[in-house]
Amino acid sequence: MLTSKNTLCTRQKITGSLAVILVSAIVIAGCANKKPPVTAGTGTSAMTQGDDFSKHLEVHNTDLAKRLFISDVKSRKSNDLLEINLTLTSRYEKSQKLQYHFNWFDEAGFVIEAGKTPWVPLELHGKQSTTLRGLAPNINVSTFSVYVREIPEKAYKY
Amino acid sequence: MNKLALVTTLGLTLVFAAGCANKSVVRYGDATAVETTDINFGSTDLQKVAAQMTDSLLLSPVVGTLTQNTRPVMFVERLKNKTSEHIDTESITDSISTKLLRSGKFRFVDMGRVEAAREQLKFQHDGGMVDPNKATQFGRQIGAQYMLYGNLSSIVKSNQDKSDVYYKFTLRLMDLESGLVEWADETEIRKTKAKESVGW
Repeated sequence: MLTSKNTLCTRQKITGSLAVILVSAIVIAGCANKKPPVTAGTGTSAMTQGDDFSKHLEVHNTDLAKRLFISDVKSRKSNDLLEINLTLTSRYEKSQKLQYHFNWFDEAGFVIEAGKTPWVPLELHGKQSTTLRGLAPNINVSTFSVYVREIPEKAYKY
Repeated sequence: MNKLALVTTLGLTLVFAAGCANKSVVRYGDATAVETTDINFGSTDLQKVAAQMTDSLLLSPVVGTLTQNTRPVMFVERLKNKTSEHIDTESITDSISTKLLRSGKFRFVDMGRVEAAREQLKFQHDGGMVDPNKATQFGRQIGAQYMLYGNLSSIVKSNQDKSDVYYKFTLRLMDLESGLVEWADETEIRKTKAKESVGW
């Protein structure tokens, strides 16, 4: 009688543990990706042609800043349009999936082509330095800013 | 005590299972953000192709000379879709021509609306409802000086673990009078899809 009670107790314990494992599995598998991805990045505040870019640098994501930095921002007028060259350098030995985008403003600081400049995907290889080009959508642009962030992909874990 | 634990666990399981069940949620997203839903030609590819081609055209020294004192008139011939997918190439040319037009450097004639314009002019002249002195005149339109045309082709390769698609987009600008190709450029896109061992 005592033996069968013990067996029953053990069975219950096993069932209990299984249930706990099941709950944990469900929680981990089902709810783990509910958190929105980190989309903060690094960029510059609005700057004009000839400005020192280092004074305009803004880092909003320190994790990303450890792997990536903006090493140069150059601008000039080409065919009356403001042309930007942005040099991105990787501090990381693996490839990074990134996206970048420019914002354009006129002399008074008003946004031009709001919400129309696309985020451009970019694969930056380990320790690579690459130059990205941006061209103002029209001749009224005098100020610009740029922003770089990661492509939020669930499969990418660093 | 054990029963209580079991009941609590089962209850929690139900709560979590219900909480984690596949619910369809509608959200607004950023139309310009990078989209990686699948390997087919997507909004990011369209935006990238249009932006790169427009930038390249506007930056070229030849176009600098062409647009120095005038805004040349262009028309867009359709893009040939040589890929294995169905792609709305008119949408790509629409984006490119809109960007070029908004840059203030070029003007366009729209060959897709010639019939509609003709109908309207016919109505103005023959409909008997419009004052003949105020009707828009026939034969006053400006002809295009340049033609924009191009190709979109793809190479698709896949094995059981990985798919790879490569798009090449070529765009050319032809002077209609001389027949010379004044500018050309191509842009490439590579997309890969691989199975990841990590689930989340």
